Amino acid sequence: MDYSNLRRQAASMKKSLFDQGYLDEQFCQVEDLQDEASPNFAEEVVTLFFKDSAKLISNVEQALEKYPKDFNRWDAYMQQLKGSCSSIGASRMKSECMSFRDYCGQGNVEGCMRSFQKVKREHGALRQKLEAYFQLLRQAGQLVLLELPPGPGCKN
Amino acid sequence: MASRNQGSAPRALVVEDIKIDCVILMHMLHKLNCEATAVENGKEAVDLFIEGKTFDIIFLHKDMPIMSGPEAVVKIRAMGATAVKIVGVSADFGGREAFMQAGADVFVPKPVKPETL
Repeated sequence: MDYSNLRRQAASMKKSLFDQGYLDEQFCQVEDLQDEASPNFAEEVVTLFFKDSAKLISNVEQALEKYPKDFNRWDAYMQQLKGSCSSIGASRMKSECMSFRDYCGQGNVEGCMRSFQKVKREHGALRQKLEAYFQLLRQAGQLVLLELPPGPGCKN
Repeated sequence: MASRNQGSAPRALVVEDIKIDCVILMHMLHKLNCEATAVENGKEAVDLFIEGKTFDIIFLHKDMPIMSGPEAVVKIRAMGATAVKIVGVSADFGGREAFMQAGADVFVPKPVKPETL
């Protein structure tokens, strides 16, 4: 398997994530921040996102249990999660966060509960897809290194 | 981004409680050769000014624990820091009015884009 094929697969995977609405233009902005000094910046940011968003989701979950009908509190936690989603271009997750906030505004408990389940599902789906994407990029990157011509002192 | 001190890197302060937003903005500023410092809320930003620290530009998120962005702007301006450029940042478009009334120079909606800087 050559690296150009892997790169094509990664590009195709990324396009698919955009076409299905998982990601928006902001993700490209994050990738564009990568350079020689920070070649893995996008993956680092995404890793941080999933670490933080897991905590934020847990905060919302606890608030839903411990503070019934405290829509202001629920909304405040979800606002943070929505903000993080915007920052990395997690478009579908962001939409579900906004939906939850709308239900908070309406004082609709059932709507909030349903919407929160969707937020969690989108979170899980996006994590899976981005993990696969970055794994593919890493594989393509590793193959690039293997194909470099041997320099002086190399045994091959 | 203009620097007060000719020839030296612009000094930026990022006041942001959301880690991922802070990381991205700090990275953008480093790419623009800024000396960037980050704190997590408005009170920490005000404390830096009380300690005598100076900055060319400050980026403040609106809703933060302990002290919000607009509150911090009011306090920073009240301390006589009138030359520093203050940029309010928020995903909430209502944040524009809050920041400008507090004394910010500019409001930028989130997510902040490199071309905006």
